[in-house]
Amino acid sequence: MFNLIRRDVILQKRQLIIFIPFILFFIIMGVPPVLTFLVSSIFIPFNTYAYDEKAETNILLNSLPYTRAEIIASRYLGAIVYMILSIGVTSLALFAFNQSFTIADVAIGSGLFLLFAGLTFPLFQIFKPGYITTVILISFVILTLIARPMISFIAEHLTAITDFIANASILALYTGAALAILTVYVISWGITTIIYQRKAF
Amino acid sequence: MENVVELKNVTKKFKDFSVKPIDLQVKQGFITGFIGENGAGKSTTIKMMMNLLRPDAGEIKVFGLDYRTHEKAIKQRIGFVYDGNVFFEGLNLKDIKRIVAPAYQRWDDALFYQYVEKFQLPLNKAMKTFSKGMQMKASLAVALSHHAELIIMDEPTAGLDPIFRRELLGLLQELMIDGDRTIFFSTHITTDLDRIADYIAFMQGGNLVFNQSVHDVAENYALVKGGLDLLDRDTEQAFVHVQRASTGFEALTDNIQAVKDIFGDTVLMERASLEDIMYYSKGGVSHV
Repeated sequence: MFNLIRRDVILQKRQLIIFIPFILFFIIMGVPPVLTFLVSSIFIPFNTYAYDEKAETNILLNSLPYTRAEIIASRYLGAIVYMILSIGVTSLALFAFNQSFTIADVAIGSGLFLLFAGLTFPLFQIFKPGYITTVILISFVILTLIARPMISFIAEHLTAITDFIANASILALYTGAALAILTVYVISWGITTIIYQRKAF
Repeated sequence: MENVVELKNVTKKFKDFSVKPIDLQVKQGFITGFIGENGAGKSTTIKMMMNLLRPDAGEIKVFGLDYRTHEKAIKQRIGFVYDGNVFFEGLNLKDIKRIVAPAYQRWDDALFYQYVEKFQLPLNKAMKTFSKGMQMKASLAVALSHHAELIIMDEPTAGLDPIFRRELLGLLQELMIDGDRTIFFSTHITTDLDRIADYIAFMQGGNLVFNQSVHDVAENYALVKGGLDLLDRDTEQAFVHVQRASTGFEALTDNIQAVKDIFGDTVLMERASLEDIMYYSKGGVSHV
């Protein structure tokens, strides 16, 4: 299983060279740290999927002594591992450029990443190869675009929710969000495993 | 004699094609050639053996084990070679080895480099720059480097030039010196099998027509030639398929004794090649 996670590094050696300038670009442009954390976390796991949507890759992985459950587990655990590494690298870069960020930025960035991963990973198993990367990229852009109007809409019209959030303590809020995201992630893991086990290659 | 692979009543249905209930045994320590025209169900059967596809019904056992409970243990002992390149095409052989090797408990680095040298494979060039023959050699090097007991190959000789095809067949024979090893490979180039196969499994239209030793195939099947006047509805029963021409008929039989009893010396009998068997079986309504 560890081998499957390590595989991503071997596979993406070259892309990793782009990774650093990519983050630096975000930092120099003065993008909010939350977004930088989110984008840097997305980089490796979603690149892996770009490889794995090919039928040949699945034939190879499934012919090697791995179970299908392990292959999916490596993706979900790998996403977390690479998220942590990416956040580490990004933090160092931010630090080097003397830009301030808070633990909250890290928490929100990684939370959003896990949510995004949890929502999109099963889609990779449903959509036909070739389309999925486009679908994900577009949905990511749309999500980013509509997130702000949506939040202000909720703030204005659904006062019950905002009141609840405003009244809850910061700790309760973070814990609640963390638990909710974790639940989404675990459910997504389960769904993807079930779909993947029924697939034919 | 032990069976390495056992398929019992296995079926698989697709929208426009189905594998009928088949029973297939692959014997340990031998080379079994798997023949049939394109679309006969060979690849489907091989994929089911590798658990890439699940059968709709029936039972598949490899090394006497079930995929449901022993998937990893089974695959540890299998080496696989597929028709196309399944390795990441942007990677070089060294990186592919880095990805594949840790998956196997019995991976043998020294052996791998021995094959790399033998096949003259470049370690630092991307797979996509390899010729078809080199890709096949690379797949083989990977498949052979973890002391697999069973080697499953789907059309390994397709698209290879005749010289390398012979080299490959020679290599397979060399591998068999180690007596426990089993090789199962599909091909539609039947002359490959005349050289090395011990058993022949023949599939057609989703049916397994036979799975016999080369010796039995030669004993059971024959090409029969004779005058048209010998044929009638009864005598035709002895043939799998009859082809008529103005000069006489040529037919394939799977029952040499019956033909001898019916026709005696009036017909000419020749050894049927695998290609003859495939060709005539396709044209005829087989009556078993």
